[in-house]
Order: sequence, then structure tokens, then C-alpha cells
Amino acid sequence: MDASNLSIREINSLFTKKELKPSELYSKVFENAANSEAALHAHLTLFEEENIKKATESDKRFSNGESTSLLDGIPIAIKDNINIKNYKTTCSSKMLSNYTSPYDATVIEKLKEQNTLFTGKTNLDEFAMGSSTENSAFGLTKNPWNTDYVPGGSSGGSAASVGARSSIAALGSDTGGSIRQPASFCGLVGFKPTYGTVSRFGLVAFASSLDQIGPITKTVDDSRIIFSSISGEDSRDATSVINNQLDIPSDNTATIGVIKELMEDGISDEAKNEVNKVVQILKSKGYKVKEISIPVIKLSISIYYLIAPAECSANLARFDGVRYGLRVDGNTSYEMMENTRAEGFGAEVKRRILLGTYALSAGYYDEYYGKALLARKEMIDEFAKTFKDVDYLISPTTPTQAFKSGEKTSNPLEMYMSDLCTIPANLAGLPAISIPTGLSKDELPLGVQVMSKPLSDNSLLDFSEIIENEVQFDGQPKGWL
Amino acid sequence: MSNEFNIKNIAKLASINLSEEEQDSLSNDLSIILEHVNALSDLKLNSQQQEIFIHPLEKELELQEDEVVESLTHDEAISNAPESKDGKFVVPPSME
Repeated sequence: MDASNLSIREINSLFTKKELKPSELYSKVFENAANSEAALHAHLTLFEEENIKKATESDKRFSNGESTSLLDGIPIAIKDNINIKNYKTTCSSKMLSNYTSPYDATVIEKLKEQNTLFTGKTNLDEFAMGSSTENSAFGLTKNPWNTDYVPGGSSGGSAASVGARSSIAALGSDTGGSIRQPASFCGLVGFKPTYGTVSRFGLVAFASSLDQIGPITKTVDDSRIIFSSISGEDSRDATSVINNQLDIPSDNTATIGVIKELMEDGISDEAKNEVNKVVQILKSKGYKVKEISIPVIKLSISIYYLIAPAECSANLARFDGVRYGLRVDGNTSYEMMENTRAEGFGAEVKRRILLGTYALSAGYYDEYYGKALLARKEMIDEFAKTFKDVDYLISPTTPTQAFKSGEKTSNPLEMYMSDLCTIPANLAGLPAISIPTGLSKDELPLGVQVMSKPLSDNSLLDFSEIIENEVQFDGQPKGWL
Repeated sequence: MSNEFNIKNIAKLASINLSEEEQDSLSNDLSIILEHVNALSDLKLNSQQQEIFIHPLEKELELQEDEVVESLTHDEAISNAPESKDGKFVVPPSME
């Protein structure tokens, strides 16, 4: 068995029994990266040389029986919008191509305390804006299952890295589905925790009321291990919350709702079939399953594409050529800023900044942003009402399997539609997970999404693990090991 | 909702210098997107709440104590500046 195919708990067991050394696994994942990077371009930077010493320190801890962490010596890739001190954080943007972070994100501090080994920084859609990793200023990432197809986005590099086993797990960020959609396209587990449970300090902000860091992994248990390591209230993120988890049943006393609006037009038969397959399994195990209607979900894309660009236009105002990042000269400070932002941002980022600027501008605020906020509140209320009747909500993660590279680049709205199923969880702050369940007729992965009420992340993971064990999806992209 | 907008004016507000070609293509994209988001105008809201909330879990945002905490050093804070002098950011003049 190739160690890079194993789960974190299995690897830790081999480390503890001294049947495998962290440095051996570390070399193995870089061997896998050497086999796959030219074809996939999952990473923007790889850290092999710098971290060999840290891998041998892990070796020593296990050899002396001194290791206390499940993540000790586990090679993890980090999306390149999360700061690691003294390394570049580019956000796949020309704007930050020379930016070196002077500090660690809170999630990085926490993983360092666990003696995790970082493998590198992964490619993304510029500033996490996109659904295919085609908006990177530094080149496309390809899907490890079939390189004609996109890996999803915006955390496409993180998903491709775990898919090709050039890391054991990865961190991504999810503003409208950017963890769950690429995980689904690459046959992996992607988990967006409850908003606020994981600190956003050190994550380059896109839309602050929606952004959340989370794991992309091979198994639900791997996501659980990483979530428990990176979560917790943080005074440096005013929106972070105390991670007081609610306990809801995950066994067959739980009630499951299938969201009607996400099983209608616009969703492929293949995606619906995966949900139906899981529903049949759950029914056979004695779970009560019922159809649930949340009509406001149909407006998710409209609400999201006002709120996210509005927040993005404010957050990205910081890129002004003064304190960090690119500078393009001009005769005055204003000219310099306009030239810098013209040169530094790619087309999708400009599109969203302009859309957000318009939605927030005098005379249009109430009509657009204000209305979107009220509709968002309506969605939060509708979910809260729904969770009085059901414990978990199930839907496809994505309307279709992965699409081909270039297929949607000329039509922004069509690209936005690929986030239809994932956006509601961000708008309502809910925990949501994508679990791989099968393959399409094109031999590409499909997944289902499960959501639950805020702060029931651990129960959601327990329930998802039951689905994972019952479905027994063991597909893996071929040709990279 | 109205979709009348002046792309040059929005670009000015956003401090992005757009080429003629970009103005055309972005105008077109924004029209399509705004037409889609206009679906919101038909929404009959049950919620009467007019208050604007910030946190999706409606966490009350609290002010922190005004105390000195460990942060970046001066040198670290300025380490990525495109241009600096004597520990300060250097920018072109604000007025010609």
C-alpha cells in the first residue's frame, strides 16, 4: 500500500509503530508532485528543501515516543491566500506576485503547534474569485481525473494536490463553495465549517461575512481531525465564535430533508441520481427522509452576486500600490492607484469590484445591497425554521460533473450558476460538506452535499462518515503515483 | 430595478483605469449580471426586519479593550512597501 493513499489516522498509526517515518512520507508526496505538477499545476510553490529538517524532527519525536499530535509529520498543502510567515502569499494575482507575508495566519500557527509539515502553496482563482481555477494569473490547474477538465475552484490547486497525492490533505477557503465544489470535482471530501468557528485572521479577505477556511481531504475523518485542530475563537478575528458544538443525532433517529429547489431544473440527472442513491441507503438504514422546500434558495445566486462583490469592492480597496503589492507609476497618487489596479487585477476581479462598487454606490444601495441583505436574512430565517423539522439537509454539491477547461470562461453568469447548490450555506453561515459518492458516465467524480444547523459541525461530520461508510466510494485518479 | 450605469463613473469610484475595450466588455457583463440579480425585486419578504446585520450567526460585535498587544514590528509592516524611505511609505504627490 502506498502511504500517500492512507488516511491521517492510518499514517499516524504507522508512524507510532515505527513502520513508516514522516521523512519517508514527506519524500513520497514530493515524488508524487514531481510526477504530476507538469500536467496539473496544483502548486504555485513547493517547500521541499526548507522542510526536510522539520520532517526529520518529526522522525525523532516518533522514534522517541514523544509525539502527541495526530497531525505531527502530516504533509499538508495550503491555498495561496493563507499567510505563512516568510513565504509568498500571491492569491494567484499579479497584484501580490512579490508579497512575502510577515506573519502567520491563525490556522497556520495552530498547525505549526501540531508539527504539521507544509508542502507548498496551491493555485486558486485570483483572490478566490472563480469556480474553475482558470482565473489564476499564474496558469491553469487541471483535474487529476482527466486533464481536459477543470478541478473546480477557487481552491482547485488544493483539491488537485490531494487528488494527485502530492499532499495528504489541504486547506482551502470557501466563500460560495470554493472548498466543496473542487472537492466534489476531484472525488474528495470538502468541509466548510460553521461561519466563525475557524479564524479568518491571515486569510486574505474576499467577502468577509462569507469567507471560511476549511479542509479538503480524502476522508471525513481527516476533515474532522483538521477541523478540530484549526477551530477556536480568536481575538484577532472579531467575527470568530466560541466553538460550542451542539449535539444532534447522527444515527437513524435523525430526520433528513432533501431540498426540492436543488433537485429541479438546472441540476443534471447524474447529480440528482447521486442524491437519490444516498437517500435510498439512508431509508434502508431506518432514517426518516422527507422533501423540504426553501423557495428563497432559488434567489441564492442573485443575493450572493450582490453581497460578495460589495464586500469584495471594500476589501480589495486596500490594494492601492502604497503599502504592499504591485505599484505602477503615475504622476499623482490617484493616477498611480488607478494604474496599479488596472495592471494588477485580472478580468474577473475587476468585474466583481465594479459590480460591488455599483451596488454600493449612492442611489443604488437600497435597491441592490440593502435588498440582498434582507433576502439573506430571509434565507437565514427559512433555514432556522427548516432545522426545527429536520436534522440534516441533503442536495447535490454541484449541478453537474466537472466541466471542460475553457467551457465557461466566456460566460460569467454560466460560471456563477455552478455554485447554485453551495452558496446557500455561506449566506446562512451553516456547516456544509461534500462527500464523494460515485462517478459520472465520463468517469468523473460526483458528490453530495450535507448541511446542518450552525455549530453542529461535529454531528455533521459523524453523519457524513456514516454516508461515507455506506457508499464505499473508493475511486482515485490514476497515473500520478 | 434600474440597470442604467455609467461604466466610466463606476471605474472612477473603484480607482481602476479601464481601457476602451475593457469598458465595453465589462459593461456588457455587468448588464447581464444585473439583469439576473433583478430577480430580487420580485421577492416578497416575510421578514419585516429592516435592521442591517453583519454576522450570519448574528453574533454581537464587541469593542475590544484599548490595550497594546503584540503585532508587527515597524520593519515588518513596511517590508513589502513598493517604495519607502526612513521607515515611511513614499507615494507620488497627491496634487499636481
